[in-house]
Amino acid sequence: MIYLNIKQRLIPFFSNKDSCFNSHYCPVILPVVNVYTISFGDLKSRITTLMKSRSSNRRNFLKLGIAAGATALIASGGNVLSAISNPGNGETGEKIKVLTPEGKLVEVDKGHACCQPATNVEARQGLPDKKMVMVIDLAKCRNAKKCLEGCQKMHFLPPHMDWIKFYLLRDSPEMAPYWFPKPCLHCNNPPCVKVCPVGATFKRNDGIVLIDNERCIGCKFCMAACPYSSRVFNWEEPMIQKKLKASVYSPETGSPPRIGTVSKCDFCPDMVRKGELPSCVTSCPNGVYYYGDRNEDAVTNGTETVRFSELLESRAAYRFMEELGTEPSVYYLPAVDRAFEYQVGFEGLSDEEIALYKKEARITE
Amino acid sequence: MNEEEKSIQNLTAYKPHLETISKKGIALIGVLLLFILFGVVCLYTQVAKGHVVTGMRDNVVWGLYIVNFIFFIGISYAGALISGILHLLRVPWRTPIIRMAEMITVISTMIGPSYILLCIGRLDRLPNIALFGRIQSPIIWDVIAITTYLSGSIIFLYLAMIRDMALLRDNPVKTAKWRNPIYKFLSVRYNDTTKQKELLNVSTDLLSIVIIPLAILVHSVLAWIFGMTLRPGWHSTIFAPYFVVAAVYSGTGVLIMVMWIFRKVYHLEAQITKIHFNYLGIIMIILGALYGYFTFSEYLTSWYGSIKWDMEVLFRLFSPGEYLIEFIFAVFIGVLVPIIIVTVPKFRNINSIAFAATIAVFALWVKRYLIIIPTLESPLLPIHDLRPEYVHYSATWVEWGLTFAGIAMFILLFYLFSKFVPIIPVVRTGEEKDYSRLRKVVFEKQMKKAIKENKKGDTITTGIVILLMLVASSGAMAQDDTQVQTVLKLEYFHVDSLQSLTGTLLSRQEGRYQPLEGMEINFKLMQGGTEKSIGSALTNEKGKVAMAIPEEVLATGGDKGLYTFSASFMGKDKYGKSSGATTMKPLKMEMSFFQKEQEKMADLKAFEQDKDGKWVPVEGLEVQFYVPRTFSLLKVGKGKISGGAASLEFPTHIPGNALGYLTLMAKVEDNEVYGNVEVSGTINWGKPLPPVKVIKRGLGDTDAPLWMVYTLIVLLSLVWFHYMYVIYTVFRIRHLGKQ
Repeated sequence: MIYLNIKQRLIPFFSNKDSCFNSHYCPVILPVVNVYTISFGDLKSRITTLMKSRSSNRRNFLKLGIAAGATALIASGGNVLSAISNPGNGETGEKIKVLTPEGKLVEVDKGHACCQPATNVEARQGLPDKKMVMVIDLAKCRNAKKCLEGCQKMHFLPPHMDWIKFYLLRDSPEMAPYWFPKPCLHCNNPPCVKVCPVGATFKRNDGIVLIDNERCIGCKFCMAACPYSSRVFNWEEPMIQKKLKASVYSPETGSPPRIGTVSKCDFCPDMVRKGELPSCVTSCPNGVYYYGDRNEDAVTNGTETVRFSELLESRAAYRFMEELGTEPSVYYLPAVDRAFEYQVGFEGLSDEEIALYKKEARITE
Repeated sequence: MNEEEKSIQNLTAYKPHLETISKKGIALIGVLLLFILFGVVCLYTQVAKGHVVTGMRDNVVWGLYIVNFIFFIGISYAGALISGILHLLRVPWRTPIIRMAEMITVISTMIGPSYILLCIGRLDRLPNIALFGRIQSPIIWDVIAITTYLSGSIIFLYLAMIRDMALLRDNPVKTAKWRNPIYKFLSVRYNDTTKQKELLNVSTDLLSIVIIPLAILVHSVLAWIFGMTLRPGWHSTIFAPYFVVAAVYSGTGVLIMVMWIFRKVYHLEAQITKIHFNYLGIIMIILGALYGYFTFSEYLTSWYGSIKWDMEVLFRLFSPGEYLIEFIFAVFIGVLVPIIIVTVPKFRNINSIAFAATIAVFALWVKRYLIIIPTLESPLLPIHDLRPEYVHYSATWVEWGLTFAGIAMFILLFYLFSKFVPIIPVVRTGEEKDYSRLRKVVFEKQMKKAIKENKKGDTITTGIVILLMLVASSGAMAQDDTQVQTVLKLEYFHVDSLQSLTGTLLSRQEGRYQPLEGMEINFKLMQGGTEKSIGSALTNEKGKVAMAIPEEVLATGGDKGLYTFSASFMGKDKYGKSSGATTMKPLKMEMSFFQKEQEKMADLKAFEQDKDGKWVPVEGLEVQFYVPRTFSLLKVGKGKISGGAASLEFPTHIPGNALGYLTLMAKVEDNEVYGNVEVSGTINWGKPLPPVKVIKRGLGDTDAPLWMVYTLIVLLSLVWFHYMYVIYTVFRIRHLGKQ
């Protein structure tokens, strides 16, 4: 029998208002380190080393809201920042208390704090041991487009730049129409990544397909190659706030946007680093989007957390246009026992748009 | 008459064209420069404003530029294939036309790729292609193929020119004499000795052998840019040969057009005869028939298979409202009319063959348009956009301007080149004729002027500058005198060994709750009517604030084991004050793991303080078990504590980390007595993560598959080895000339 007494060390997150535009631009980078106190003395160092080499599956990252005990830390922010460059080794032995997203106070090592967007190298590698997946429950979607609203707000997108697109699909005229929200599907065999001449778009270890807008030459080959029309182009100088324009670019946030380059839904890797859900997931009023790590076998829509494998199994999930061999990371749950009539989705739309949707779905009445 | 005499005679026939320029010629240069100037304006507009000035949008990402790109690369085939094959087959009538064919190749291979540059959003980042180029991308194939092809074409053109250069060196031009040293330099001391002749012939043969497969590869690569995508109408295995055939077809057409024009303008009726038009016409219609056959095969296959997306593209092509007229022109007229004209002897003459060629060239341009635009307008998912420009492509004046500028540039380069080098090879023009019309008018000044003007062209700039409007968000907020209600919620958390209080401060305005940031909250312990301050802290942007409860506070024993805490907000600015309180009883939980035979169990023990401050087991408390995941907690079970203990079968089917370490968490949530208490433990009983499969050298990776690297190295070294050998031969010819 093995008995372990484990203390978790978690990563705090600083929101340094002076150097960051807002918290969205200050993602946490560090992987978590578990320190094990084990009753078998000599095993300890071995396991610790092993565990250090792999980051744990524990809820890794915390959002920082500092209590009184940690106010001193804010003052010494400079030291904390310098500790970032050395993730995993920045332990100072000194404990600080940080607030988790759920509002709980926990103790962490002072060394594990940062306020820098992910560097290009980090952004290209991806989060270790993760495989991000999304499950979209078509039975609950009513085309409210709140996900897009949240997405555009979070990524500072101009009104017509849609990273999520909405279709009213009907597979054949005898069948029922259903609403179909479509972010980037983050394919495991991405046609867009294959054709990029400069490696500006890339597939990360964690399954996310990102774009480096500072490398992209704007040849649009990826847009032609994407069978899902997921990519959009910055045709003109993006209208953005001065402050955002001056912020540090990271492929993980895709902002500030760059003219003449391609952008698309990025699965919010900066939020994942913080242990927070993407904006589309949290903005959806109906809990349509489930997001999570396939390696953890769990996805959540913000209110309920379910096992990924069970959800796919019980709801007979499918991937869109599987026959193309792109192996998307986004799974769809069929629109069975729908929560809304499809007509509900026409609410608030212009007559012109309703007509277009009806034409696409071949609805004649 | 021996060969040398023939050559001299040919030179005397052509030399006036090298030495003079007509008024019409100057007018032509002027008009072409105007077109090019307008192209510069267009380019400036596009660079200044971005690609928004073009008709390209998110769906139709490529437009006229790519059409022109394919078109120009297509006509470059004339030189490579026609002159290469005719040379290798020693076709006797080839000589007067191969110079033109090679010039078409060189000039169009220079102009074609500039259209790809126009299509690129960030021209300033072109060095990235060299810095980060991935050879998995067909664009990189194209870059490599076209540069190799252009180099080869230039060498080929030059090899065929050496003899003429030598002749011009021996018979210097009398106007614009600065050209004479250039002729001398380019002639590499060629004196037509047996050895030099042999070297030149061998290298020309060698290069024509290399250039033919290379040309086929270049256009295949171009077709693969489209064929490698999953688009209906593009994703077709027939595309590479189809593009090659279409390219040679249009290349031959352009060659016939060029022949006709130069024959008329330079009065080369003696050299370029009806035989040339007839033979080339026949080659052209054979290619035209092949092109028609490929087209038929392509559309028949996709129509018969009738895959949904293919049908959408076909529907577009066959709809009268969309592309039917263009389709009929590109496919029926573009094939049938040339065939009828060339095959029916009654219709066949020099002018009609030139007309047939013109039809073919235009049809092929339209065909390229039909390959690009309708496919991009039919993505797999419908284009759901209310903006018409996002649904249908229509080229803007910028794109048309640059298209015409490219054509003008083609003509201009051709014209200037024909003033520098004989447009027909003067040495060994395989035909014998007398030339009576020798013109010896000198227009030296005019010619110099024309060349000068050509250089001035690009100094003109336009003044269109678009200033960006930055959206300034005004922070003006209406002053409100009425106080805003606030709500402060206080919760107690006990995580592992750390006990804390968490407050959430919200403002309540018009029934909506908003978090308040940066507000000071005071925490107190209430004990028997007295208050004891614990500390104060500021709320974060979510309105949350937390405070650790010091050990000594909890050591006091509380009020019969019960502790009451309060948090208060004193109010700030317009926000009113509020407070919250919570009462709780300390709960101590411990988690341990044990294995009994095959069963792996998690054991939970819970104790509370009795009135005397002694820790006693808890009875009948609901507890939830979770596994922490990245974003949230995954529920794995629940239990009831009886006799101070509860147990749970360890969820071994849940993935842990690579070693199988999995954290299990037991939680008491929002309990009236105990607040929120959680305890967790980790053990390697979870499902270990499968080892990460590292796939390197895939199509999507930074490094290319090895076979691709090897193929590229082998192909490139083969081709460049021949180039190098040919260049070496040129140096040898030069060396031999010294003796």
